[in-house]
Amino acid sequence: MSQIGVDTLRKEAWDKVTGAAKYNSDRLESNMLNARILTSPYAHALIKSIDTSKALKSDGVLAVITGDYLPVLTGSIIEDRPPIARDKVRYFGEPVAMVVAHSEQEVMKATKLIEVDYEPLPVVNSINQSISSQAPLIHENIGKYFCPDTTVQPRAGSNLLDHVRIRKGDMDRGWNESDIIIDLKTFLPQSDHLAMETRNAVAEILPDGRVVISTSSQAPFAVKEEISKIFGIAEGDIIVNVPYVGGAFGGKATVDLEFLAYIASRAVGGRKVRIANSREEDISSSPSKVGTESTVKMGATNEGIIKALEATYFVDCGAYAGTGPRMAKAIASDCTGPYNIENVHCDSYSVYTNHSYVTSYRGFGHVAFTFAMERAMDKLANSLNMDPLDIRMKNAISEGDTLATQAKITLSNTGDLKACILKLKESINWEEGNRIVEPNGMIRAKGIGCFWKTSNSPINAASGVAITLNSDGSINLNFGATEIGPGMKTTIAQILAEKMKMDIDNIHVFMEVDTQLSPKHWKTVASMTTFMVGNAVIKAAEDLMEQLKSLAAIVLACTPEELDVKGQRVYLKDDPDRGIQFKKLVQGYEYPGGSAIWGPIIGRGTYIMKHLVPLDLKTGKGKTGVSWTLGAQGVEIEYDPIRYTYRLLKAATAIDVGKVINPKTARGLIMGGMSMGLGLGTREEFIYSDNGMLENTSLRTYKLIHFGENPEYIVDFIETPQIDGPFGARGLAEYGILAIPGALANAISLAVGMDFDKLPISPELIWKTKTGGKYDSL
Amino acid sequence: MIPFNFEYYKPKTIEEAVDLFNSLKSAGKKPVYYGGGTEIISMARVHNVHMDAVIDIKGIPECNVHEVKDGELIIGSGVTLTEIAELNFFPLLSLTIKRIADHTVQGKITLGGNLMGPIIYKEASLPLMASNSKVIIAGRNGKRKVLVRDIYDKEKGLNPCEMIVQIVVEDKFLNLPYAHVKRTKNEKIDYPLITIVGLKDEKKISFAFSGICEYPFRSPKMEDVLNNNSISVNKRIKKAITNIPGKILNDLNGSSEYRKFMLHTMLKEALLDFQEVE
Repeated sequence: MSQIGVDTLRKEAWDKVTGAAKYNSDRLESNMLNARILTSPYAHALIKSIDTSKALKSDGVLAVITGDYLPVLTGSIIEDRPPIARDKVRYFGEPVAMVVAHSEQEVMKATKLIEVDYEPLPVVNSINQSISSQAPLIHENIGKYFCPDTTVQPRAGSNLLDHVRIRKGDMDRGWNESDIIIDLKTFLPQSDHLAMETRNAVAEILPDGRVVISTSSQAPFAVKEEISKIFGIAEGDIIVNVPYVGGAFGGKATVDLEFLAYIASRAVGGRKVRIANSREEDISSSPSKVGTESTVKMGATNEGIIKALEATYFVDCGAYAGTGPRMAKAIASDCTGPYNIENVHCDSYSVYTNHSYVTSYRGFGHVAFTFAMERAMDKLANSLNMDPLDIRMKNAISEGDTLATQAKITLSNTGDLKACILKLKESINWEEGNRIVEPNGMIRAKGIGCFWKTSNSPINAASGVAITLNSDGSINLNFGATEIGPGMKTTIAQILAEKMKMDIDNIHVFMEVDTQLSPKHWKTVASMTTFMVGNAVIKAAEDLMEQLKSLAAIVLACTPEELDVKGQRVYLKDDPDRGIQFKKLVQGYEYPGGSAIWGPIIGRGTYIMKHLVPLDLKTGKGKTGVSWTLGAQGVEIEYDPIRYTYRLLKAATAIDVGKVINPKTARGLIMGGMSMGLGLGTREEFIYSDNGMLENTSLRTYKLIHFGENPEYIVDFIETPQIDGPFGARGLAEYGILAIPGALANAISLAVGMDFDKLPISPELIWKTKTGGKYDSL
Repeated sequence: MIPFNFEYYKPKTIEEAVDLFNSLKSAGKKPVYYGGGTEIISMARVHNVHMDAVIDIKGIPECNVHEVKDGELIIGSGVTLTEIAELNFFPLLSLTIKRIADHTVQGKITLGGNLMGPIIYKEASLPLMASNSKVIIAGRNGKRKVLVRDIYDKEKGLNPCEMIVQIVVEDKFLNLPYAHVKRTKNEKIDYPLITIVGLKDEKKISFAFSGICEYPFRSPKMEDVLNNNSISVNKRIKKAITNIPGKILNDLNGSSEYRKFMLHTMLKEALLDFQEVE
């Protein structure tokens, strides 16, 4: 029986439901010291002086560290961020000092005793302020920073980190062929990842200089590589360990607390030091989701065929580059959404502000352009008096079209968008109408949107799998993706079980990642684990079977080609009764009369991204991923026209995933994505005061969707195989979020009869938009 | 984690509690009375409150009373919201407190804590104010009894050494027709954007409000307007809104203009509720 497409219990299910699963912060040891940061109360200020004397005298304190100790600059794209601020602070919540003490209580107490004298500077509090010619410079040294990503071009004397250009087709022709042109401006605020487990890390420097770090990271190999590079330590002397991770959503892909943990350990002679964010620090000090603004202009014929797209995006990266510029690039390269547009002109700018700095967040920037495009599609449909669903069908991307980056579209590297739209049409009962006034005066409205996304990985992103075997013939599976929640350790085990034609229960997965033991996996990001590790594990299985067959051929006196593998047994194809069990082979074969051959069998497999091409700096020509998973989503709301409030009734997704490996977890992932999308649409946002202070730094004021506030979720899978995917599978983990904010805004705009092009859409915003925001007391 | 040391006391009598408070204060320390501790714990964790000592009142028998006796409902300040909702002597009070925080936290929050804690909304006070309930306060000079609404009055309110012992509700108020309307910014469970309760005693409806100003209140002026049946409901409400007795909140939860709009729809709902009952 196939093990693909079958609901499969997670390997870690019993650990997790009983609480036996251990996360990094659960692993407290009696010899651990505690570190804690003091954060900046200013968004932009000079640090005039820091007085650490009182804190140093406080009970249990071993060290008080400021930015002058081990001054380094970090960043995976631009090295612009000191782990502890030096000379000036650039955002509210930035670390300005760190205390190391014996207990958590002592460290918290001492942190309050540090006295910092600041001189506030003018604050850059918005994208507009950042790009204004009078804007204060946030980084005086912009233009001089070392850029590990050689394609970014920070502009000296400005707050502009990078500018990505897309130039496809002939815009003049596009506008000439257009009968109608619509335009809009959108705004999506910064917000938080809000993983259940706040970020934390432990570091220790052993007497021989080896550095051992355990952390809640999505990118243990990046931790190893960046610590090595920044502090000049040989990679082999750095060991990074990651147990289960309690949710990440991109927020744990940046090396962040690991730097601090290492610095703290260094300051106390290498002793083991733990640093763990409080929820407030996790929100305000560690990196957040980007904020974006856009201007979109789109032209189409009277028949609704899009002829031209001109778009400008600004990405608010906050105080440091983080991963911002790469998301700006992702926005530009996929800016058309899953629609065929021949003439495209897109500029995507990354800018510094005095906001929280940013890292990847579920969707990797794709929510921003999807929101703009889906609002634009509805406006176009509205102007042409067309059905929003029909206009999307008409422009759906298909085999033979090209991307904005001019890369080729195939059915295999995208999927069947039209099939997704038709499935959605059914699941949200589009036929009954998309705006229905109920007898009680409530308005039921439906909005839709289409999405796509690719990985935007480095060109050489790669993955490895190592397989060892036990003497009972069962398999140990080891790879470098961290189990951040989606159950990928199980998915990979399913692929291996299917390839080996054996029972998944006899596959034992190494749940942790240890950079000393596990083959490298680029990062557990970009919805690429199933695809990359899945391809690698198939090769590992092939490698393993080849070795097993070679050995069995000796024993069974035949050629390896005459053998097949199934049920942990190697057997003759023409006489299946004749064979030998794995357990007699995997540790070497012992002849009945004595003497043995071979030895333990080890399987290995690898995968590396293929045919990726960096974007041309002038035209944006290139290729940013191997495939673009796509689909269609819908949101149904009930709007109360008296109170200007709304309820979420349904959210639906139809997505072409190529092949579903584990349907239940896949469904859960899509639902989780939809829930986050509704969070962005309805309430999640960073609110900055006039002087750039983040005002909602705790869960008292930062709101996200709670259980019970969710609508009914509908998930449908379309399966158009990706030829080079494992059993045809495409990436799907992030995708549930992508078009939900746009679909929600479309539903609300339709219900209210006004345009909503900013997120989140609160009842108060609807009231303001509808009434002008003044209570009429007459 | 609470990152500082503090002393913990659990006195058995009111006198002991008040004496402790005074002696700690004279010794230059900052004591606080302690009910469920939900705000003390969550705020001390981030240095938003500081105390040198907590005086846990849950060991005092009077503070745990919860009964109807001699025509009065008496609820001790140490009784939890969950207990109040479960015994349900006063349905409007039960309904109101079931919408404070979530079920888990309701099992910790005490009536006294909700009335006197640092969070401004104090929604449990609304049914008590609407029913002219009284509060028994203990201090250095013994006990005194004041109207619940007066505890938020600068002059008549509690002085720092005083503690709430009990709430006293006359039983004639317990089963009157009522209305409770709560709106939040967006959530099912959250602090109120506005909460209003109404209680109808024969012909007159008394109202109490939370989330409009920095303190919960009852306003005789607004009540007079709202009860004036000679003018239309809309006009009554608009006039009531112009008579709000303080500065209207304008914060992350909602602008003051939006609060006025929302209050309008809520009052309309509450008034209609009462009409339907008739």
